[in-house]
Formats: sequence, C-alpha cells, structure tokens
Amino acid sequence: MSAGLNLLLVASAALFAVGVLGVVTRRSAVVMLLGTQFMFIAGALVFVAFARFGLGAARANAGATMALFIGAVSVAELAVGLAMAALIYREHRSFALDADRG
Amino acid sequence: MPLIGALPQPITSAPLVFFVYLVLILLIGSALASVLLRNTLYGIGAFAASMVLVALLYLAIAPFLLVAVQLLVFTTVSAALLIGLLRATIGLTASSVGRLSPEWVIGAAVSAVMFALLAVVLGATAWPVRACCALPLSLGSTLINDYPVAFAVLALILGSASIGTGLLIAAPTLRSPRGGGSTTARGARR
Repeated sequence: MSAGLNLLLVASAALFAVGVLGVVTRRSAVVMLLGTQFMFIAGALVFVAFARFGLGAARANAGATMALFIGAVSVAELAVGLAMAALIYREHRSFALDADRG
Repeated sequence: MPLIGALPQPITSAPLVFFVYLVLILLIGSALASVLLRNTLYGIGAFAASMVLVALLYLAIAPFLLVAVQLLVFTTVSAALLIGLLRATIGLTASSVGRLSPEWVIGAAVSAVMFALLAVVLGATAWPVRACCALPLSLGSTLINDYPVAFAVLALILGSASIGTGLLIAAPTLRSPRGGGSTTARGARR
C-alpha cells in the first residue's frame, strides 16, 4: 500500500467534483463561493502532487509556489464574492441568487 | 541519457500512508458536508475544517512554508471573511449554552489546542524574511526571486480585490422593485 501521484490526482478530482456539485446544485451564493474555493484547492493540490511525485520533482518548490499563488487568488476571489453576496442579501434578505424570480 | 529521469517514489511508510489516506477521506467528507449542509454556519465550519485538512495534507507532501501559509493565512482569512459576512447579514445569535458547562469547556479546550497549534506553526516556520541570519530560504527565495512578475501581479490582484470589496460594501443598494427594500440604501442609484 502506498500513497503516490495517482491517489492525489483522484482525490483532487473528487474535490473538484464536490466544488462543481456545490456550484451547480445549490442556490445560495455563499455555498457557491465555497464550491469555487474547493475547485481552487483541487487545482493547487494537483500542482503540489506533480511537484512531489511527478516530473515537477526536479524543481519541487515550483509546485508549492503555484499553490501559494492559487491560494492567494482564491482568497481575493472569496473577498469580492462575499461582498457581492452581502449586496444580494441587502436587496433580497436572502443569499439565494434567484431570489428575485418570486 | 534518458529524456525523462526516474520519478520520485510514492510514500510507502505505513504510518504516513495511513495519515494521507485518513486526511484525504476526512477532506472529501468535510468538503461534501460544507456543500450539502443547509445551515450556513455549519457549512462554514466544515469549510474551515477542510482548509485545515488541506494544510495537514501539505504537511506530508509539500514544503513546510506552504503548510504554514495554508494554515495561518488562507484558513484564518477565509474563515474571518465568512464569519464577517454572517455577522453583517444574518447575524450570529448568542449561544444558549451556559458558561462552564461541558460544551463550553470542550469548545474552549478545542480552541486552546488550535491556538497552540497555530503558535507552534508560526514559531517553527522559516518565513521568507531574513529575521535571522541562518534561516533556510528555499521556498521563499523561489517565490520572490524566480517569480517576480507573478509576485507583482499577485500583489496587484490582492490590492484590486481589497479595493473592490471595500467599494462593494460601501455602495448604496438599489431599492428592490418587489418591495424588499434595503437596509442601508440612501436612495436609488442614478
């Protein structure tokens, strides 16, 4: 039994699928943002996995650097998205994105 | 000479393999809980747990600086943003659990353990600044010296995001055509 590139790629795909599930099936803006965060994390995990177990191991720090960049961008996206969610809540007293459809 | 050299070997140490599998299973479970739970506060808690689990996974496969940044920066900032949103909108109701009750003691103990963990990580991390003369700077120097353009673009993105967030929060909202109204509107936008 071992833990290598395949395991981490499968886990990353599962995490991305969970994020897509949140974005597609839920109406709440907050949950949708959390779903996008999971998709970002899945991408960062792939970079780290290839840097540790794949061809990227020649420059192992590059994968971690990419993960840092992805994390910072995801936090920026979360900040702007939450501000928009707050505006939606002010208008409709709900986080639902289709609240104005009645 | 082969074009592609030998790939690094997968982790075969039994305790480490068990740790990676356990963290991955918990990570997928908490991510699913975060997406599927109806209570937004519980969903945010599950999301914070997912971020901590990602940091634990990085502990096994990535440089320690990434673990520290994931745990100290990304997790805390994300959780603070989400809790701030809830405070500004739905509001966080006061707990009905009395102080010194078992639930309160357990919660305080978990918080103390998390705080101690954060303090240990904060102290054990070789941050990419030369606070001391002999700190290893591998990942930090890679970040700053090999990717200066990406670093500058990232600073630009973060600055733009902070400005945009402030403008969105401060902006007056339109009056709802369905009569919902807004809590902070100062008249309709022209």
